[in-house]
Amino acid sequence: MTSNHVPASSGFNKPLLFSRRRFLLAGSTPKSNGRRAGHAALLSGCLTFLSLLSPSLHAQTIDDGIMLAKRSLCAGALYTHDSWDSYWQGSLQRVNGNIGTITTQTITMAANYGVTSRLDFIINVPYVWTDASKGVLHGQSGFQDLTLAAKYKLVSVPVGKFGALRAIAVLSGTLPMTNYTPDLQPLSLGTNSKTLTGRATLNYLGRRGLYLNGTAAYTFRSNVTLDRTSYYTNGQLYLSNQVAMPNLFNYGTSVGYRKNNLSLLGDFSVQQARGGGDIRPQDMPFVSNRTNFSKAGATIKVPVPKVKDLQYWFIYSNTFQGRNVGQANTFTTGLMYTLPFEKRATP
Amino acid sequence: MTTIVTKKTPLLRTSISAAIFLALALSTSSCSKDIPTSEPLPAVTPANTDANAGAWKMIVLSGPTQIAVAAPAPVSDPGYQSELASIKTAQASLTDAQKTAITYWSSGGVLRWNQIMREIAARSDLPPSPNPDGSYPVPNPANPFANPQYPFSNPPYAARAYSYVSVAQFEALKTAWYYKYQYNRPSPFKTDTGIKALLPDSNIPSYPSEDAVEAGVNAALLTLLFPTSVDEINAKAAEQQQVALISGRASASDIAAGVALGKAVAAVFAARAATDGMKAAGGSPAIWQSLAANATARGEIPWISQDGPPRPPMLPVFGKVKAWMMTPTDIVNERPGPPPSTSSAQMQTETAEVKSIVNSLTRDQQATVYKWADGVSTVTPPGHWDAIAEPYISAASFSEVRASRSFALLNMALHDAAVACWDAKYFYFNPRPSQLDPSIKTQTGLPNFPSYVSGHSDFSAAGSDVLSYLFPSGATYFQAQMQEAAMSRLYAGIHYRSDINVGMDHGKRIGDYTVSFAKTDGAN
Repeated sequence: MTSNHVPASSGFNKPLLFSRRRFLLAGSTPKSNGRRAGHAALLSGCLTFLSLLSPSLHAQTIDDGIMLAKRSLCAGALYTHDSWDSYWQGSLQRVNGNIGTITTQTITMAANYGVTSRLDFIINVPYVWTDASKGVLHGQSGFQDLTLAAKYKLVSVPVGKFGALRAIAVLSGTLPMTNYTPDLQPLSLGTNSKTLTGRATLNYLGRRGLYLNGTAAYTFRSNVTLDRTSYYTNGQLYLSNQVAMPNLFNYGTSVGYRKNNLSLLGDFSVQQARGGGDIRPQDMPFVSNRTNFSKAGATIKVPVPKVKDLQYWFIYSNTFQGRNVGQANTFTTGLMYTLPFEKRATP
Repeated sequence: MTTIVTKKTPLLRTSISAAIFLALALSTSSCSKDIPTSEPLPAVTPANTDANAGAWKMIVLSGPTQIAVAAPAPVSDPGYQSELASIKTAQASLTDAQKTAITYWSSGGVLRWNQIMREIAARSDLPPSPNPDGSYPVPNPANPFANPQYPFSNPPYAARAYSYVSVAQFEALKTAWYYKYQYNRPSPFKTDTGIKALLPDSNIPSYPSEDAVEAGVNAALLTLLFPTSVDEINAKAAEQQQVALISGRASASDIAAGVALGKAVAAVFAARAATDGMKAAGGSPAIWQSLAANATARGEIPWISQDGPPRPPMLPVFGKVKAWMMTPTDIVNERPGPPPSTSSAQMQTETAEVKSIVNSLTRDQQATVYKWADGVSTVTPPGHWDAIAEPYISAASFSEVRASRSFALLNMALHDAAVACWDAKYFYFNPRPSQLDPSIKTQTGLPNFPSYVSGHSDFSAAGSDVLSYLFPSGATYFQAQMQEAAMSRLYAGIHYRSDINVGMDHGKRIGDYTVSFAKTDGAN
């Protein structure tokens, strides 16, 4: 069936959309399937969601190379389950009988709107539950941080007959939606810091479906306010309720297949905090700890059979190396639906 | 070629968006990332010299003459004159670091040493991690740098440490005042007009130097109590002595006499500390078992550790450690009556109340819990009350000896509250709410010792009692803080209401012992 399409933004300059090459790539005739193809394209644009959610949700997200078509909306709900029992106390890996397994579950309402073929706006609203399997600590739940992002396609360059290379810039920010505490790590909903992230992504999509993505981001984080007037971290007692949060550097790559509204990707990502102290032996983690990690995982996105414009997601990642973070296994699953407000232009 | 044309616009847009991004990024990062580690405190000029402080009642020393301080050389002495000359030399080439140090210590060494002590106590407030076999290592004072480091500055340990340093400093300063007004040697800047007064003129004689007394007594006792922080302690002590000199306030002989006095007083307190019962406070497996057996014999459910793996109880014999203002008989006499029986309807009701509160906490109540958590890596509840006292002492423009009196009185009461509270906790060995009802989940870390009575309530009532006496204008505030601290433990789900109410009442009675002393110590 249809197959095909080249999303407005899938890596080809607009003129190419109307060129013969489009049909070569798509492998179908535009007239019969043009509209449907357009919808399908939008689904793939949903790839851009999530990012900067809880630590657990640093998965394939705002950091990919896909753009939505103009005046289309992609929205849905995703469930994320993140759990760990082993964690890194500084560089020492250990388990802790006072917390057992820490599980963080998140439901994210996500929406992505294509303002133009080169500008997308993204919004995420996560609700988070935390729980410790051992010990006596009470879990927490509530709305966490709103994410807003503007994703802009800077340039798209065809690479011979094989595909296209795109450069994308993303400016995103997060804003805590409630006054949740950052002072009960690892059971706090998040860090309660306002953040601003600049991101650059290079993406290659080949005509046969080869998908290569590289992305790097730098995140500024605002001070965090505690409910107490002194705290000890990183070798010092601070006589203040204000905590300076180290900025974050992230990068990642994804490699795989993406075609016909189907994505099969292998993912790798790294976070390096630009400062912060280590968790001290037998202490609780602290909000400004140096949280570094390396994750590897996979992303599967498939069209739901017989339901037009609906896509099913499954994303898995494993934190295989880290510092002051849990050795987490994380999966995200959910459905994303695409709604076009404007028919795709057809020649 | 269309591509080429269209590319130009994106490039322009790119640079605009890049500029916007940078501007936003800078505006975010510019919100002050630097959090000061030490509070700026105003320079203090004592409102009163407290010239009679040498006659104030002593607590441990027999009197000011227990430590002899030899008479200083006359100001005309050539040796003293050369001391003055070296101050002038030093003042001629002050470094920026020295100027910063002068500003730092100008708020008064008593306040600064209290801050330093809180930092060290917080650093040492780490329970040992379990061994692979589920047992726990014990910090070893004979090998303090080994893992786990000595000490684990838990609340009773910290209460005792704060009190030792504060009381010793108070005794040393009273002794210093005695000799200051006996010998009446003026500060170098008064004797020699070529010497600048870089600290406010207190009109207090300079021999022996109060700054040096503080450096000597604090360095010796803090090193004894927190051996792994020795480098930081010595650096602060050396800096304070240097500031006394280069500020023109004290000469080398003023300082030498002060350090010697401080160390001599510290030695008296070190000897007391060696035999005050602290060494036995950890108990033994046989003692831990007998505590549980006693509770069982009374028909009560005994406390058990809910740490994973279960941890020996925290300092079960701390209730036998020597108090400052109370005899062992006083401790027993003041011991509260028993908590509601673990099998009583009242205990059932109180447990249900804890569960209901902990599961419906408002954000304000949560904030109270976190404000008063005072758990691992904190200054602990006694340190929290020192922090509450700090702005009142600073604003009062006390002489150093009177400032030290405030901290001594406060920390004596807090230590005695720790002793009396631990006595009650281990006498009754009462389980925590989360033990009686495992479905109760706590909003802060669960302390590893019995429930009755609440330490926060006890400490806070004693602290509030003493501070209300010293600073009547703040009494309403101190009481409010006490109420909040006490209730925070109910909100946190780690105490029943009776632990809190009885604890506050108990703490007030303990505090009154110190207040009675303060009323008659000659300082009013």
